[in-house]
Amino acid sequence: MDALLTGFAEALTPANLFWALIGVTIGTAVGVLPGIGPALTVALLLPITFRLEPAAALIMFAGIYYGGMYGGSTTSILLNTPGESASVATALEGNKMARAGRGAAALATAAIGSFVAGTIGTIALTIAAPLVADIATSFGPPEYVALMAVAFVTVSALLGPSLLRGAASLVIGATLGVVGIDTLTGQPRLTFGVPSLLDGIDVVIVVVALFALGETFAHALAGTGHTRVEPVRGVPMLSRADFRRSWPAWLRGTALGFPIGSLPAGGADVPTFLSYGLEKRLSKHPEEFGHGAIEGVAGPESANNAAAAGVLVPLLTIGLPTSATAAVILTAFQSYGLQPGPQLFTESGDLVWALIASLYIGNVLLLVLNLPLARVWARLLGIPAYGIYAGVLVFACLGTFAAGGTMADLVVLTVLGLIGLLMREAGVPVAPAIVGLILAPLAEQQLRRALALSDGDWSVLVSSPLTVVLWILVAAALLAPAVLAVVRHVRRREVRERDQKRDQERDRDRESAGGSGRDSAGEPGRDGAGGSGRDGAGGSGRDSVGGPDRGSSDVDGQ
Amino acid sequence: MTAPPEPGQPDSAQTDRAQADRPLVDRAQARATALLGLIMVIGAIVVLVDAARLRDSDDAVGPAAAPTLLGILLGTTGLLLAVQGARSARTAPESALEKRRLWRLAGLVGALIAFALLLPIMGYVVSSTALFTAAALLLGAPHPARVVAYGWTVAVAAFLIFDRLIGLSLPAGPWGF
Repeated sequence: MDALLTGFAEALTPANLFWALIGVTIGTAVGVLPGIGPALTVALLLPITFRLEPAAALIMFAGIYYGGMYGGSTTSILLNTPGESASVATALEGNKMARAGRGAAALATAAIGSFVAGTIGTIALTIAAPLVADIATSFGPPEYVALMAVAFVTVSALLGPSLLRGAASLVIGATLGVVGIDTLTGQPRLTFGVPSLLDGIDVVIVVVALFALGETFAHALAGTGHTRVEPVRGVPMLSRADFRRSWPAWLRGTALGFPIGSLPAGGADVPTFLSYGLEKRLSKHPEEFGHGAIEGVAGPESANNAAAAGVLVPLLTIGLPTSATAAVILTAFQSYGLQPGPQLFTESGDLVWALIASLYIGNVLLLVLNLPLARVWARLLGIPAYGIYAGVLVFACLGTFAAGGTMADLVVLTVLGLIGLLMREAGVPVAPAIVGLILAPLAEQQLRRALALSDGDWSVLVSSPLTVVLWILVAAALLAPAVLAVVRHVRRREVRERDQKRDQERDRDRESAGGSGRDSAGEPGRDGAGGSGRDGAGGSGRDSVGGPDRGSSDVDGQ
Repeated sequence: MTAPPEPGQPDSAQTDRAQADRPLVDRAQARATALLGLIMVIGAIVVLVDAARLRDSDDAVGPAAAPTLLGILLGTTGLLLAVQGARSARTAPESALEKRRLWRLAGLVGALIAFALLLPIMGYVVSSTALFTAAALLLGAPHPARVVAYGWTVAVAAFLIFDRLIGLSLPAGPWGF
């Protein structure tokens, strides 16, 4: 407790308060702007670490991280183009509310829910982090190897549409992480005699290439379609009825988000969909789901923010990043010569507690920034896509120049950008690649350390009860999708048969009456099932086996 | 969308279509999957050859172990993706990938390379303005003059913040910015 108060004293200095404000403002802005996420922003700002105090830089990065979660909800509600996968669930009901003219209420419940969840999540982080750090001090290399194996499997299974695609992304990232001089033997690996590759491919370049260039290239390929921003009418406020329906959803979302986020099991996507499914099941107004039910915004949005706080638990206490942004923040720590993990709390306790204190402050700042200023942020959505992506390109090149600045770096950037484009076009998520890039070298290091300690005896990897449990989890996580795939295959066939029958009925209906409402009721679930928002339209009923039920069952599968 | 738009949501179908460029699996995605898989298989061969070249050490896990494992995984996942992509490319509905779009992509790559070449000669602000303008026009910006003004503003702001405020020394052209 004392430590936290000291942290507040540090975080409340005018300079650090300023950096927190800068962080949450930038974070909200990049969260709102489609195509730019917190991971990319933090990566672009990494060169700042050469100039700033560790506390100032990390406070700003944490602000960007939290701010991105707030801003993302604005985009999904008003534009129906979720900036990140964790906001997909918010878009389902939020955009429907905005279309029905209730955008202000949706924004309000998202902002307040984010605040409630963020604050409770941060309190939970405050309590859990020292406890986990305490436990983690007894971890040796074998435990770390097992934990990282869990993270690898869950990140590839959870951050993407399928295990294969997630794994492909992870392996691509991990391979990039191996490039450079091998620390133990001093031999260059995968450098092909290029001098600037000797100390590895800079994280900034990979993140910028996969996120920024991949996205910009994809836009050039697709052509900028027109988007529709829903106008916000009135000041974002909750009516009494809205509040009564929102607050239980906020708390349930938080209860789902924080624990799942803090497991070394991959980010904020899963709890948001679980929360959406839960709210739909518990709601007194299930008929409103699919037409703008406020619980469907309140729950997932809280789950999202609580999970964001949860992700910081393994990051700070074990040094295990489970989302792309967390992985980039880990790099920021490393550039100060700090290694997140149990030692961080004993050796740089002041810094950690200042960081945690700044999260409380950041949440308050974000509520103030987002609630009254929602319409200002909404105006950012009016910036045409060509402006956003041209700007992204300019800053991407700036970041690359600051990170290395050689011609070879630029070639690597462009090549990786094209790979990022290909991944995007192929439906392969890029986030696992970032986690793999940063975690794979650490995993190799820990594995070698473990085997050096045991004189090459591999049984050291399962030498403690915890490691055995973790390896069983790895096996279960690998086998579960296969089992689920079989179940899903059977279900899909049933649904397809039902769908064909429905299609026939509908054709008959249309011949006699013309049009039916049933089709659109199936849409929200369909958007969620794909997890990208891209597959909302154009698909015939056969492909997307419509219906809200389908949406939630797919989430369970992920 | 087969059903006509409903009265409650005047053009929801239309906007959905604008956002959802294509259904989940179309030929373009299948082709991209196959191509990515192919590149991963080639990458796997490169990684494995490079790993075989490394001198072994006395440790249980030598320097070649991680690249070898990654090479195998890269090859396996790549092969699976390639097969999956090739298989669905045959059944997926055709989607037109216009030549013009590929030219736009090539234009962007060219702009990036031109930026790298121009940067040391012309300085940060001018080359960034040029990059912004080129990218915006390729992405469909309507007013060239206005785009140059936007680009100039963004570049100057970035220069002031990163060079003057933060102290990252950005290349200055003959005119000092």
